[in-house]
Amino acid sequence: MARFVAVTPSQQNNQLSFSPLASSLSDFSGAKLQCSQIQFKRKQWQAKSGSFYVSASSNKKILIMGGTRFIGVFLSRLLVKEGHQVTLFTRGKAPVTQQLPGESDSDYADFSSKILHLKGDRQDFEFVKSSLSAQGFDVVYDINGREAVEVEPILDALPNLEQFIYCSSAGVYLKSDLLPHAEVDAVDPKSRHKGKLETESLLQSRGVNWTSIRPVYIYGPLNYNPVEEWFFHRLKAGRPIPIPSSGIQITQLGHVKDLARAFVHVLGNDKASKEIFNIAGDKYVTFDGLARACAKAGGFPEPELIHYNPKDYDFGKKKAFPFRDQHFFASVEKSKSVLGFENEFDLVEGLTDSYNLDFGRGTYRKEADFSTDDIILGKTLVSV
Amino acid sequence: MSMATLSSSSASLLFSASSSNLFPLSHSSTSRLSFSSSLHSSTASLFSASSPTFLACPSSSSRLSATSNNDGGPVFSISASAAEKKKVLIVNTNSGGHAVIGFYFAKELLGSGHSVTILTVGEESSDKMKKPPFNRFSEIVSAGGSTVWGNPADVGSIVGGEVFDVVLDNNGKDLETVRPVIDWAKSSGAKQFLFISSAGIYKLTDEPPHVEGDTVKADAGHVGVEKYLEESFSNWASFRPQYMIGSGNNKDCEEWFFDRIVRDRPVPIPGSGLQLTNISHVRDLSSMLTLAVEKPEAARNSIFNCVSNRAVTLNGMAKLCAQAAGRPVNIVHYDPKAVGVDAKKAFPFRNTHFYAEPRAAQTKLGWSSTTNLPEDLKERFEEYVKIGRDKKTIQFELDDKILEALKVPVPV
Repeated sequence: MARFVAVTPSQQNNQLSFSPLASSLSDFSGAKLQCSQIQFKRKQWQAKSGSFYVSASSNKKILIMGGTRFIGVFLSRLLVKEGHQVTLFTRGKAPVTQQLPGESDSDYADFSSKILHLKGDRQDFEFVKSSLSAQGFDVVYDINGREAVEVEPILDALPNLEQFIYCSSAGVYLKSDLLPHAEVDAVDPKSRHKGKLETESLLQSRGVNWTSIRPVYIYGPLNYNPVEEWFFHRLKAGRPIPIPSSGIQITQLGHVKDLARAFVHVLGNDKASKEIFNIAGDKYVTFDGLARACAKAGGFPEPELIHYNPKDYDFGKKKAFPFRDQHFFASVEKSKSVLGFENEFDLVEGLTDSYNLDFGRGTYRKEADFSTDDIILGKTLVSV
Repeated sequence: MSMATLSSSSASLLFSASSSNLFPLSHSSTSRLSFSSSLHSSTASLFSASSPTFLACPSSSSRLSATSNNDGGPVFSISASAAEKKKVLIVNTNSGGHAVIGFYFAKELLGSGHSVTILTVGEESSDKMKKPPFNRFSEIVSAGGSTVWGNPADVGSIVGGEVFDVVLDNNGKDLETVRPVIDWAKSSGAKQFLFISSAGIYKLTDEPPHVEGDTVKADAGHVGVEKYLEESFSNWASFRPQYMIGSGNNKDCEEWFFDRIVRDRPVPIPGSGLQLTNISHVRDLSSMLTLAVEKPEAARNSIFNCVSNRAVTLNGMAKLCAQAAGRPVNIVHYDPKAVGVDAKKAFPFRNTHFYAEPRAAQTKLGWSSTTNLPEDLKERFEEYVKIGRDKKTIQFELDDKILEALKVPVPV
């Protein structure tokens, strides 16, 4: 199967079509591969001006580790729309597909008819290795991997892998007085996210073509981490918003749809080869500012903010606030200058999107829990 | 137009910017060529000594682009730049934090082979000229620059009818002061006008950093100048700086921290100390300005945040200064209102986040920052000690008032 095409200059501006590729579908649950007309994208050509080898960005056999919860839900749709054959590797505990809020019935039907499922537990390394090598994927997106050992069987199974694209985390950066975090900065081998670091090191050592994406705080519809949801619960309840310390701590959110687009953007992209990219919003935000932005997004009045010293309280295991109590933000200049990647959402737009498609429709992941708020506020408000 | 600096880590550089004393600097356009020994010999033959196409630039404008040809081998393409030697006039303030910008800019331009006149406000004999950077202006003269003094409103007569390619106003904070310079520049045929504005004009935001294009305070003096430039000059650029460190500075910055650290005094910081600010080495500002002069089309009609690419917290700055001094630091936080002091008088930096990023310079000019606060502060501390400032007797009245209110003991 021709993956790389040598093209003479005269062909550069033509669109080339490939005949649909045969692939073994026998293990997969019911889905039929439907290949529409496959075309080169002009953008790929322009990005690689002067370079001899061009990889077709369409018609790849792609495996997503995960893909049914948050990032992968959006990423898989983009990839399927681009004409790739996409398989989700999950245990099957959550439905393989679910209709997204705002997604039309026909779009959903189209997507669910094309998406493939490989059921398994990624902690079963032998199964991972055998099932993947039986399929022979071109590209792997590892969205839910946490430890390097989880990635080894994937690399072992797919020696001809074109690209391994990893969802790492900006949490790997060593805390610093000099900000923002840039990809070249020191990382913290003792951080909570050291598994991500070890995975990045493994990828570097194995000689595979890898790309690592480091998001900051991800938000958007279906977010299972109560980031914006935490604020929306309080705004809806008309409660004051307790914010630790000064409230001028600066954090950064990145919309899940922009993140999904970034993941697609690096696919088959020479400029992403063996590179790390921070992906998040263009602007950062203070804790106080985020509370106000959530209020704007949901059409709530400007909230009352209460600042408290977290050291004065013992909340036990409960988190009184969804963010690290420190500055934490990363520069996305590299993704712009090297990849030409641009975000579509700014903060208020993105929060509005999340509100309109999720919390505002009455859906959320975690029930409201104001117990730590009440400790801070020193009283119990009777819920009406 | 991109500048190609052919740099080679290996030997045999025929000419280089750093050895600019090889060339007698004159105001006529001499051609200077830089060669890299790694350059393919066929491309070297494209250039002859008579074509004034190259300027080796010590700033960060190196652009040796390699593309693959169809044989798979690299081809080095050098864009011939139209950055011929420029005649630059700097109108420089005679005091304050921005004074040092003109000094570095003048020296960098001269090092790159441009011609420079620096017009300082006021009189050469004034007491202000005894302070840095003015007391080092001999460095500008020995590098081939001219130094003159006077009232910027009379700029035309002060420079004796000389015509300049580029004019930088590093003096005025409002239109009344800068307008005569702009109008003269335009009528005398200057092709490019550069203005040192201020990042202080940005409106406070919930979403840092300040980025070019963000809302500014409409009534700020600098904004009036920027607006007038936009209306009246065909190629202008405005540079919005924050705080600077660097030898030759006219206003204290890091010294404020050193003064306390070296005397084992607590460092009182208003608020939480988490406020972010941007403290750049002045060479970053100079390199950005130089790049704008050498890439006038890229800089055309643009606003540039003239800062390094990293912000630092106030706490962080105190810690870095202490590290540079090799001493411990005792940071004490206070609420200015509760203590009854004017934070502006008690502390040299803004009491809120004051954080801009140099995105336009990076994108449009291909500029990159070289500020390295940990390293740069070491140099600054060395100079601090060398001039004997650590032994100087200093009164800390406002500090004492703050510490008294907080009941913090001070070593005798």
